Amino acid sequence: MTIAHSEDVLKALMLLSLDGDEAAYRRLLTTLRVLLVGYYTRRMGAATKADMEDLVQETLLSLHSRRATYDRDRPFTAWFFSIARYKLIDHHRSRGGRRLAETELGEELESGFSEEALTARLDVERLLDGLTPRQQELIRQVKLEGQSIADTADRVGQSESAVKVSIHRALKALGERMRGGS
Amino acid sequence: MRDTDRMITDLVRDLRPVPRHALRDRFLLGLLPALAVSLLLMLAILGLRSDMPEALMLPVFWIKSAYNALIALVALWATYHLARPDGAEGGFFKMGAAIVLAMAIAAAVQLVTSPPEAYGELILGSSALHCPFLIFAFALPVFAGISWVLRKGAPANLRLTGFISGIAAGAAGAWVYSWFCTENGMPFVLTWYSVGILLVGALGALAGPRLLRW
Repeated sequence: MTIAHSEDVLKALMLLSLDGDEAAYRRLLTTLRVLLVGYYTRRMGAATKADMEDLVQETLLSLHSRRATYDRDRPFTAWFFSIARYKLIDHHRSRGGRRLAETELGEELESGFSEEALTARLDVERLLDGLTPRQQELIRQVKLEGQSIADTADRVGQSESAVKVSIHRALKALGERMRGGS
Repeated sequence: MRDTDRMITDLVRDLRPVPRHALRDRFLLGLLPALAVSLLLMLAILGLRSDMPEALMLPVFWIKSAYNALIALVALWATYHLARPDGAEGGFFKMGAAIVLAMAIAAAVQLVTSPPEAYGELILGSSALHCPFLIFAFALPVFAGISWVLRKGAPANLRLTGFISGIAAGAAGAWVYSWFCTENGMPFVLTWYSVGILLVGALGALAGPRLLRW
């Protein structure tokens, strides 16, 4: 169930992608998208969901259009999160730069992108794969991103109790998967 | 959410293999023609220095040429690394300072071994006023070439990348100009060539944040 070296896995996918392997590229982009949501969520407290999705898309687009700047002899995650960081700073700057200092300070504290955190996140994503898309989204928002039940219910257009029930069922399914699967 | 799914599908469909040395090749593609244009402009507008055969025998001619060429190479190397989002200038300022220091020593030696009457010629020469601007002009094709490359790159620090790429272009322009310039004073080169190079560096630092944004 664990991925021992996520840097290795992502780098291998990137190298295959650079050689034109479409399946590897799709896997890479899908995995990175999830990592980006986590990355930006931790750094943009007050951001709207649309802003976040814009940033994720911009970053993936940049990975695509700038992929020639990746040096195959160097770590992939360092390269990729440098792009994510640039896009985040650029985003704040175009908003008037108010939160720029805050962003850079936050980066300082969290510098040294943690491989364990990445691995853990990949494990979680792999687990979530077994759920329905709606369940995945709820788990992500409430349990991973820490948003409130009320906000989430608003966003997905369900009542709070329906959201709670869905999450409860999803967690139960996850528990069964973990007992059965590992 | 769905938009992102669609985008990923589009990106996957658009995937083409990238050659291992794509970035390096792009630098060569942007730089060599630009340098050729600059050289041709110099030959067409100014021509080689009138005393070329003798100049080729002068150490000062080659020291002048090497000063500009070394700065250009060191700055270009740093620019190549800064074109990657996780790249750093990698000791550019130290190496640049070492080259300038070596030139300052050469200039001091030349001054000490010359009679005071020659100082005016060695420091101001006959072209101090227009030398930096001609260097600036001959640097512009190279600056355009490097910027073209960088705009397809992914520099994270736009002002620093702009500055160092400007220094690279400025030093390349100065190297081109040195084939015409008849000045033989090392203090002249140290002062007025460096001013010309720094002018292009300033242009890069000012234009970088807008020009190189991606």
